[in-house]
Amino acid sequence: MDSAQYAELFLTESREHVSAINHSLLELERVGGARGTEAVGAIFRAVHTIKGMSATMGYTPVATLSHEMETLLDAMRRGVREADPQLMELLFQSADLLEQSIEGAVQGVGAPAEMASIVTQLRDESTAGKKTPRASMAIPISAGGEWSAAMPMGAGLLVRVRLAEGTPLKGVRAFLVVQAARKLGDVTTSSPSIELLQADEFDLDFAFRLQTDRSHGEITRALRNAGDVADVRLGDDADVEIPHQTMEFNVAELAHGAVTTQMRAVAAPVPQQRSVRIDLRRLDTLMNLIGELVITRGRLAAIAGASEDVALVETVAQASRLIADLQDEIMTSRMVPVWQVFDRFPRLVRDASRSVHKQVDFTIEGKDVELDRSMLEEVGDPIVHLLRNAIDHGLETPEERTQRGKPPAGRLVLSATRDRSAVAIRVSDDGRGIDRDRVLRRAREHGLVESGKSDLSDDELVRLIARAGFSTAERVTDLSGRGVGVDAVYTRVRALGGSVDIRTVTNEGTTVTLRLPLTLAIVRSLLARIGDETYAVAMTHVSETVELRPALLGSVQGREVLKLRGEVLPLIRLRTQVGYGGAAARGLEQAIIVDIAERRAGLVVDGLIGQQEIVVKQFDGVRDAPALFGGATILGDGTPALIIDVSSLL
Amino acid sequence: MSHTVLICDDAIFMRTMVGDILQQAGFEIVGEAETGVQAVEKYKQLRPDLVTMDIVMPDMGGIDAVREICKFDPGARVLMCSAMGQQALVVEAIQAGAKDFVVKPFQPSRVLEAVQRVLG
Repeated sequence: MDSAQYAELFLTESREHVSAINHSLLELERVGGARGTEAVGAIFRAVHTIKGMSATMGYTPVATLSHEMETLLDAMRRGVREADPQLMELLFQSADLLEQSIEGAVQGVGAPAEMASIVTQLRDESTAGKKTPRASMAIPISAGGEWSAAMPMGAGLLVRVRLAEGTPLKGVRAFLVVQAARKLGDVTTSSPSIELLQADEFDLDFAFRLQTDRSHGEITRALRNAGDVADVRLGDDADVEIPHQTMEFNVAELAHGAVTTQMRAVAAPVPQQRSVRIDLRRLDTLMNLIGELVITRGRLAAIAGASEDVALVETVAQASRLIADLQDEIMTSRMVPVWQVFDRFPRLVRDASRSVHKQVDFTIEGKDVELDRSMLEEVGDPIVHLLRNAIDHGLETPEERTQRGKPPAGRLVLSATRDRSAVAIRVSDDGRGIDRDRVLRRAREHGLVESGKSDLSDDELVRLIARAGFSTAERVTDLSGRGVGVDAVYTRVRALGGSVDIRTVTNEGTTVTLRLPLTLAIVRSLLARIGDETYAVAMTHVSETVELRPALLGSVQGREVLKLRGEVLPLIRLRTQVGYGGAAARGLEQAIIVDIAERRAGLVVDGLIGQQEIVVKQFDGVRDAPALFGGATILGDGTPALIIDVSSLL
Repeated sequence: MSHTVLICDDAIFMRTMVGDILQQAGFEIVGEAETGVQAVEKYKQLRPDLVTMDIVMPDMGGIDAVREICKFDPGARVLMCSAMGQQALVVEAIQAGAKDFVVKPFQPSRVLEAVQRVLG
């Protein structure tokens, strides 16, 4: 394994731990210091692991920061420091800094600027509350060569041991040496005392008395085998001048007993996620390959279908089933639970609501719902947008809420649910709702609606605030409802093949639903024909198809409609939309009934070709690509087809 | 025949690193555990020649795991993996039956020396 792979592993694992730290910090803040022992323990453990990993990677800033955090957390665990608001703030800041320095370290960037100040603050905090400062031991540090340990008096052979320079945890090493000696006989006394030895309170050498009948050679060998031993001397050696006095410190209050028990408390069971780590690039490559394979399968099926060869047709059919299974498996392996992204939101909501002095009761539902990994990454920012909007504009201040007879803390719910082949992500608040009148006024000022219009339906409202530039250019921030960047959310989600739906009720709140396909790359689609061109519509949006018999046609307010089993649906002629000239083909046209949320319409095409899996190619860098198209694909026979973005039609 | 090793650490990063060091030195990694409970279970099942044991792990810490393993097999050879500042815990682990320790950050040579001492 090379260092880049270690770095990647470090990054993935550290991110999980940072997320756990934030999670537990919020928990600690919620339940308060007295009942937060478990949370402090969890944070300690995560920080501790990061410390160990970063030190191994040589990421000094991360190691230093996590070390200081660990020291403070340890003081908190021992009850020496209490989790007051100021301390919590420092810990939150430290967690942010830790995240930054982890990302920075992996990218080879230096420590963030505020590192020094945070580290100092952490140090101050960990020492601030100490009731008894650690006793400093006046053990002289000897200049090389001289033996500094006093010779213990008593029965038995004098054994003096010097550890190698730079021995890690020399106290423990000394303990191991003494343990080794105990296997040979009785250790009667030691200098310094065993307690001090264990607490590292000595220079490199120490001495003890051993009652044994073993040979000197045997003793020396046994002690050297304890590791990190530079020198062993046996017997009272007149060559070395050592004052004959026994230093009997009794500083056993160095509390390793206490530390030990606390450490156990930390090791409390924590739910573990079972996971397998695969390089993401490998998954992406697999996905691309299966995409190409799916296209080829289409072509192969077409060729086989045209031939009379039964064996060929059968084999192709079987290969197709296998490819479908393979595709399912690969897609499943790319699925990750939404909590991987959602877990950072509680922290974000906390910070955002504090900055605007609002109380927010935030809950997350459906954490375990799964979504394609790249889809999940893409959708993170839009969700952040929606949460921020809800806090900034949707929810009222505690005073305002109390006046309106609502509880002072606003409710904000983020939920994920799975339906059909889509995942719905909902951000819902119980705030003031979008002010329709003000949106309408703005829209009228800009000639976006007819001047006589006095009411906005939900759909019209969504269309208006989702208009690029409408919100940002006109500072809809001033409107009481949401506005900032809804168009950005809308654009992003549509680019992912999803749709946005907004429901709002004045004084009761707003719910925004993002409906996303499970995966980005492969979409089951209905292929339709306009003249000699082929278009694709994602099956997610197709509810049925009907032959456009004249009896079904009608007109409402001068607009063409489709009357379907008592329901009146607007008709959209794709031929006109795509600008394909000429009259419709002879014979009956077809209508594809498309729906997004509760909005439905009939999409008129010349004819239907059939259903097919298509691999979506986004229009990367194509300027002014019409909003009507969500991408393009190559069909089995090698011809290109444009993919209709249904949400742009409705 | 090469010696068999069970690696116990809650961080995959650490397991990978220790595993790489030992594997390159000719050891055979027969199992990994990420909690103390798993460590004890896997020890009983695999009976490895050597166990590397992290101290801080969820679901039974490393020290209790050492205690359980040594209760089951007094001849068990366990090497503790510790961070700086855990003296008291390492001492406790040794009292519980661990044979030696290494300190993070790991240097391959130090790890291998300690392993030789434990096996020797």
